[in-house]
Amino acid sequence: MTIFSVYIEEGCITCDACEEAAPEVFEVTDDTCFIKSDVRLDGGFDRNDSKSALKKEVINTLSDDIFDAADGCPVDVIIVVESQAVEEKEEDEVPVIEVEASIEVGITEEPLEVEGLDAFLTTGDRTLNVFFGSQSGNSEELAAKLAKNASQYGLEGVVHDMDGFDINAMASMKRVAIVCSTWGEGEMPDNAEALWQAAASSGAPRMDGMSFSVLALGDTSYELFCQSGKDWDKRLEELGASRVVERVDCDVDYEAPASVWAEESLTMLSAIDDSGNLHEELIDAIRDLVSGGVAVADGEDGFTIPDLLAKEIEVELSVFRYNPHERTSGTDTWLCSLKGHTTLLDALRSIQRTHDGSLCFTDGSSHDPCTALLVNGRVTLPGSTRIDRLSNGRPGPVMLTIEPLPGYDVLRDLCVDFDSLLKKRESASVWHVSKTREAVKSEQGIAIGPMDASKAVELHAMSNHAGPQVIHACSDAVAYADTYLGPSVCLDLWARRCDPRTSDKRINAIDATLAGTDTILAETDIAPFGRQPLAGRDIQAALSSARTRALEVNGFNGRHGKHVWWYAWTLKSSGKVNDTVLYRQVLGPLGLLSNLSSGVTARMVTGFTRTGGKMVNDILALVAPPAGLGKMPRQFNKRVDNHHEVVSIFNSLDRRF
Amino acid sequence: MPIRFAYHPGNAAHSSAPEVDETMRAVCRTLGIELIDLPGATSCGAGILGQANRSLQATLNARTMSMAEDLGLDIVTPCATTAATLYEDLNMMKSDLNLMGAVNSTLEKTTGRTLEGTVRIRHLLQVLVEDIGLETFSKKVKNPIRSKLAPYYGPNLQQEGLIGGDDVFDPWYLESVIQCSGGIPVRYPSRTSSAGTPGLFSEEQTVLRQSATILSEAKAKGAKMVISACTLSHGVLDIYQGKASRSTGLNTNVPIVHLSEYVAFVTGNFPKRLAMLKTRLAVIGD
Repeated sequence: MTIFSVYIEEGCITCDACEEAAPEVFEVTDDTCFIKSDVRLDGGFDRNDSKSALKKEVINTLSDDIFDAADGCPVDVIIVVESQAVEEKEEDEVPVIEVEASIEVGITEEPLEVEGLDAFLTTGDRTLNVFFGSQSGNSEELAAKLAKNASQYGLEGVVHDMDGFDINAMASMKRVAIVCSTWGEGEMPDNAEALWQAAASSGAPRMDGMSFSVLALGDTSYELFCQSGKDWDKRLEELGASRVVERVDCDVDYEAPASVWAEESLTMLSAIDDSGNLHEELIDAIRDLVSGGVAVADGEDGFTIPDLLAKEIEVELSVFRYNPHERTSGTDTWLCSLKGHTTLLDALRSIQRTHDGSLCFTDGSSHDPCTALLVNGRVTLPGSTRIDRLSNGRPGPVMLTIEPLPGYDVLRDLCVDFDSLLKKRESASVWHVSKTREAVKSEQGIAIGPMDASKAVELHAMSNHAGPQVIHACSDAVAYADTYLGPSVCLDLWARRCDPRTSDKRINAIDATLAGTDTILAETDIAPFGRQPLAGRDIQAALSSARTRALEVNGFNGRHGKHVWWYAWTLKSSGKVNDTVLYRQVLGPLGLLSNLSSGVTARMVTGFTRTGGKMVNDILALVAPPAGLGKMPRQFNKRVDNHHEVVSIFNSLDRRF
Repeated sequence: MPIRFAYHPGNAAHSSAPEVDETMRAVCRTLGIELIDLPGATSCGAGILGQANRSLQATLNARTMSMAEDLGLDIVTPCATTAATLYEDLNMMKSDLNLMGAVNSTLEKTTGRTLEGTVRIRHLLQVLVEDIGLETFSKKVKNPIRSKLAPYYGPNLQQEGLIGGDDVFDPWYLESVIQCSGGIPVRYPSRTSSAGTPGLFSEEQTVLRQSATILSEAKAKGAKMVISACTLSHGVLDIYQGKASRSTGLNTNVPIVHLSEYVAFVTGNFPKRLAMLKTRLAVIGD
């Protein structure tokens, strides 16, 4: 029997006995004992919980000393793993992995050899240590997000607050990601100061086995922009750690660059093996694997299962193109063979990388509303939409028509300018203006404004959407109505209007804005919101309620109000809508004359290509033409059976009509 | 044994679109569908009444749907707006039992009726594809129209859950009906977009632009005729076609018929009207 590995269990009393017996192997720290990195295959410096194998020369020369140390341990926490207990491994053995790129647009390749990659991503120590130095919470939030997403890359993300962390423990880590903000004039956040001082000191341990990446948060309005992140990046390199991804410095709008950094860092750190070696040959395969969409399972624990078995499907991508310099537009079509779990965003990235570098689209995180596109008329977040989910299940290639979001100026290809929306929001002052109101005190003595739970739920439903950019594009009318402020502005105004915290003065101002012709009354059809997955019934209902309020403020006057009022009136009168009454009452004499001269009336009478129908529908056709002539609607409706029931319902619920 | 449905003709079929009602009855006779009229049924409100009073619209529709429940039948309609409005109100009540209770309370007080919520709402298109079946339908085709034809669904019908197994954004039911009857369906982006019909009287310029886009896109794909599953949109796309073209400068000159008209013609009904339509098809164009 030979030694394979040695590790330390919980309960070390730091008596130094082991260090005296085998100083080459054991190092007693303040609260436990570590297995030295020089003797381990993984190069780590910790208690060796992962049971990393010892180097061959160590086993050959120091086995007796290790056994002596174990025997002499008064609390028996030194556990020697002998070769019988585990499968024997060669020292320099690395898993045999055969990987081929799985997603290449336009080329159907051999299926991915996932077994080797799967083994690589699931065996050994796959810990990713994410440190945050945070003052306002942004870094902490990003660190948590990174750790959560690490599971998609076969990594186990562990978040560490820098505050109180031991620099020696940090030095033993193999994969480290640092998210650190800068405070004041280039200073470390409070929670990072102590660890930084330890790292910056001359006595800091070497970090030769570590692979790292740094995300620096800062503000360009300060002279020492992202200085803390820069300091960490430089110091870790000085201590021997290997940088796997170049540091990214973020300004106050950090989400998009942070997202790109996170994706790249997770890919690279995932390709680091137990021994700290980077497997470059796996990087593309890991990237492809993850971009294929690792689905989150429905279980409560949120574990992830790689969806590797999605079939390849044929996809015909018709992409809108626009060149602002030449002022030309058109459509480019690619016939691709893609894994079903490929996201639409990755398909576009692949096209851009392999076929057409000039293709423009907005890249970003999977839930970034600025990346949204119109796919077969569906407003879609391409980073979170799998190709196979866009299939209608019919035989033949999946046909996807990809267009820029409607309602915005197109900058180039699929990129649009959201500036117009921002200006509309600004002009409508969608901001919250509170009124002074009574508060109650929480158990902690903090004053809070109470809100009825059902009201809170109602307000949440109105604001729980993919983003104003997306809601704006869900309207079928917004692209055609020049002065219309758009549904997202209306929705925000309505949410403020419904908010009990809003001041009375502000409510009156919102009412006046909503009742204007450029807000919700300019929306020609609210039905499209209900069917758009990124909007939905709640948004549709909220916009409908906003419209009702606008009509009430106007006293059902104007064309909008008259249309609704006379519709209700005719329905109450006969149970059926009377088109003639609507036509006459809403358009008025001028409107009727306009339609007479524009040919609308003529087409209505003749029916144009509509077929059938009597030429004379009503006696009035003879005395007051064109009423009742041809396809003109009837002047009078026959009442529905039991019409009194209809009247009774009206009288019970709404006596206005 | 014929398939039986309670029949709601929609909002305009009694007045400005009588051809829809006439052809719907003929289609159902041909395909072995028995329509049971609901003489007491009211207009569905088309979402317009709902803008004034949501619960009023729901209560009126609950009354109509309870009539079908009394007959033990599902409701069929050729009007996409009516199908969608009834479906939305029914689902809203089924998912909000407080609302259902309030509606039934009013309904019982005023009419003596109550709604159970067991009725289903079906559009003619869904019945054709799912109840009759495309194979059966294709055997009934006598007068195929062998041209490029553009399907128009509109946004009301294309709601998740309303149109059975069809895809809401990349539908194929109407295309399948066209193919089964000898036509060649064309694919164009705005086939499920709104024509803006509810805003016709108040936001005419916007509606004209929306309508012109739909018609010009269909025409640009070579369509000789548009087939609409929506009665109200059908009317707007037909009557305001010329005005839309003059307003936008787009080429919108294309005939448009309702789905029920189209199916009636290809199954051998109203041969004189079909002849007239074909003559119009021959003379309309660029």
